[in-house]
Amino acid sequence: MDNVILLLIVGIPIIGSCILPYVGRMSAGLRNILALGFVSASLAGSLMLVPDVLAGKIPSITFSFPLGCNFILCADRLAVFMAIVSSSVGAVVIVYSFGYISHYRHQDEYYFMVVLFLGAMMGIIFSGNLIFLYVFWEITALASWRLIGFYREPRDVLRADKAFLVTVFGAFVMLLGFLMLYNQTGSFDLAAIKASLKTNPLPDMAVFLILIGILSKSATLPFHTWLPDAGIAPSPVTALLHAAVLVKIGVYVFARLFLVTFTVSGIWHTVVPWVAAISALVSAGAALVDTDMKRIIAYSTVSQIGFIFLGLSVGCPVGAAGALLFILMHGLAKGGLFLCAGIVEHNTGTKNITRLGGLIGTMPVTAVSFLFCAFSVMGIPPFGGFFSKYLVLAGAVEKGQMLVAFTFLAGAVLTILYLFRLFNMVFLGEAKGAPAREGSPVMVLSVTLLAALSLVSGIYINYPAHFAQAIVKQMSGM
Amino acid sequence: MPSLVILVPLIALLILNLPLGEVMRKASFWVALGFFIFQTVLLFCHHFRCICGSERFINSFFGMDVSVDHLSFMVMFLVNIVALTSLLVARHAIKDSDARFNFINLIVIASAGMNGVTVAKDIFSLYVFLEVTAVALFIAIALQREPRALEGAFKYILLSSIATVMMLTSIAVLFFAAGDTSFASLKSALQVSGKSPVLLAAIGVFICGLFIKGGLVPFHGWLPDAYSAAPAPVSVLLAGIVTKVSGIYTLMRLVAAVFGFKAAVCDVLLFGGTLSILVGAFAALGQKDFKRMLAYSSISQVGYIIVGLGTGTALGIAGAIFHFFNHAIFKTLLFVNAAAVEESTGLRNMNKMGGLSSRMPVTGATSVMALLSNAGIPPLAGFWSKVIIIIALWVSGRYAYAVIAILAAVVTLAYLLIMQRKVFFGNIRPELDGTKEAGPGYVIASVVLAAITVGAGIFFPYVFDHVIIPARSALLP
Repeated sequence: MDNVILLLIVGIPIIGSCILPYVGRMSAGLRNILALGFVSASLAGSLMLVPDVLAGKIPSITFSFPLGCNFILCADRLAVFMAIVSSSVGAVVIVYSFGYISHYRHQDEYYFMVVLFLGAMMGIIFSGNLIFLYVFWEITALASWRLIGFYREPRDVLRADKAFLVTVFGAFVMLLGFLMLYNQTGSFDLAAIKASLKTNPLPDMAVFLILIGILSKSATLPFHTWLPDAGIAPSPVTALLHAAVLVKIGVYVFARLFLVTFTVSGIWHTVVPWVAAISALVSAGAALVDTDMKRIIAYSTVSQIGFIFLGLSVGCPVGAAGALLFILMHGLAKGGLFLCAGIVEHNTGTKNITRLGGLIGTMPVTAVSFLFCAFSVMGIPPFGGFFSKYLVLAGAVEKGQMLVAFTFLAGAVLTILYLFRLFNMVFLGEAKGAPAREGSPVMVLSVTLLAALSLVSGIYINYPAHFAQAIVKQMSGM
Repeated sequence: MPSLVILVPLIALLILNLPLGEVMRKASFWVALGFFIFQTVLLFCHHFRCICGSERFINSFFGMDVSVDHLSFMVMFLVNIVALTSLLVARHAIKDSDARFNFINLIVIASAGMNGVTVAKDIFSLYVFLEVTAVALFIAIALQREPRALEGAFKYILLSSIATVMMLTSIAVLFFAAGDTSFASLKSALQVSGKSPVLLAAIGVFICGLFIKGGLVPFHGWLPDAYSAAPAPVSVLLAGIVTKVSGIYTLMRLVAAVFGFKAAVCDVLLFGGTLSILVGAFAALGQKDFKRMLAYSSISQVGYIIVGLGTGTALGIAGAIFHFFNHAIFKTLLFVNAAAVEESTGLRNMNKMGGLSSRMPVTGATSVMALLSNAGIPPLAGFWSKVIIIIALWVSGRYAYAVIAILAAVVTLAYLLIMQRKVFFGNIRPELDGTKEAGPGYVIASVVLAAITVGAGIFFPYVFDHVIIPARSALLP
């Protein structure tokens, strides 16, 4: 039964997405409902797997193919957790799109690509074979290429091409790393690789190559430039790309490969935290001086991804649990920030924060939702972001990496600065230009939902924390 | 060698030229269409009989040459698909009915020549069939007597005749050594006196001749001119299959059946292939002309096939055959897209186009599929063949070649994205607002080809097991 559910979680959105453009020709409403239905099916399926994985089972399904390219889907706790986070934010984003995207052209392609993207994301999460992980990885790149270029202006299309090229370059380099692995272990199956790597660690060259792929996908320094540029995409897309899903692909694959599957030499427990620290600090600085609302939030994403990498790479269970929690909290809060920014942009027609101000008077719900989400990203208690950031830093301190911990602390202070600056400039002060209306009901509903979730997940932190601990236990093989 | 595959096209040619006057001219398209469909069906019937081991039924009538193995089958299938595509394009693109009639005759002759190449079992008949194909194409390129087309055809004739001289010289030397021109006796003669410098030189000269025919760097000078100057249906035929059959397939067959995978041969193939990959990819980056860009892209992609062959391993050859198949499909598709754009806008300069996919949705969507397959983005077919070639390079210890092959794929994606951005993606230019799909022929051809490329990617395990592995067994028993 679990095997069938697993197949459906991946299969429904991917196959379903292909019929959306044809349904869209007949009825836009039916298309929207179906798109939401496909993503909700993934969410429901992932939730149904929760009791079993908590009981310690690992459902999996295998189809044998030639050349070691076996199609394997495998659901451990980490995978189920990621699937729930991605598909729940994905579902909110689709609801928000009903309002946001309704008066643009190319809507059929939009829903096709968003649902395909989420389906491919499910594929990456559950894939137990490197080649299929790579296949789904590239499908997400392809979908985000079409989505970033959604408005079809010359500049949009150019930046879409840039994002596609950077991530595909990273992916090709990562493929080289996979080939080195294949050469050493004779298999692309993660389980077989894990068994054969128990005795000898992975060559540093392969680790380096795979890391390039991961860093380029999760927009970490020095491959981060495509992410702020991709902010020209429609807001639901940037929320989807930046916050919930795309950048988390890199983080997830990092956890899946380097924490669960491989044993790597100790040097990487120092190198990766430092790369993450520099990335966090530099992008926080960039966020402090930029004037484009969406670019600030995008730089903030680059910065926060650094925290997740720190927690995962520092090499202790507390940090890893904090990083996993932060994947959830950041997904909810950053998705909310982008969607709020989308409402502001949609109703005022500008993203430039020097031309905005005083919006709290006319769009109070959006402003409060924005503030809640910002609190969570900053790490103010009792919002969810606080606990996860605290655990990540505690992990770094526990491992004795004081200098790294201080660098991240500086990054956290900068986060507070630039987010308050953003809130000030956009929502407080004197109103400039014509007074803007509040967003449409579905859009406001979506952001309120995400803001409320950010708060609730902090107050009831023990539920996600238990789950995170269970994941870490399974990852470290206890 | 009175084989059915040569006989059927000749009969079709006779039917086409029956003295019925205007009637046959009008019906020529349908006759040729019927012929190619008939030939495809025949091919499948025969192929299934091959698999079932009972080909006596056809043999009892025609004495079918049993040398039609799985690789020949695959290549002949591609010949038919591309010829059908070219025929559909010609129906729209060649307006003058006389010229169209002549072109249809030439396709049938060229398909007879290419069928001959795929089944030939001796090096001299191989040469004869190569010439039959080439002569048909010289005329087809120059068919509309435009100055640029004449120039392209002239370059093609010139370089082809150099290749001819080289191959004939080499055949003469090999004939002296073996006393016979059949593959089997040449192979045994080479095994006996393989170290002889004269014979090695003969092999080298022959390979150079085939490099010219296949348009590989550094003998690629004729290819962009010929591809871009030829009328649309001719460039579909030339780029889709003719250069591949006369250069690449022949090379595969001869290296496997006659020359053997000697270290020197493999090194030449690897080096020449990699050079083609790089030169083709970087040259394609800077092109303005749609078809010229595709021509350079062809040079680059053919390089992958040669590199796969050059590994000399079972996996590499399987990858080469698979990429041969994929490249024939997706490059034909891209040329059909280019032809459709040229037909409906009259433009070939990509800088003057923009946003066409909103007016030509089928052409736009299928071009994205061809692009992704060409650049090696999964799950399309081109990804699998490229990845197999790269795995083969890596496993056989040729790390530098593997790295170049991977990074060149990024350049491939870059130039194809430039094309996509300038031509299809983006907002429609005001002056192109009234553009429509070019015609049903283009739409049918591009949908069928896109379906093949997507299908072969998604059902890759089945294609690999049932088409590619049997085809490889023809080369590596």
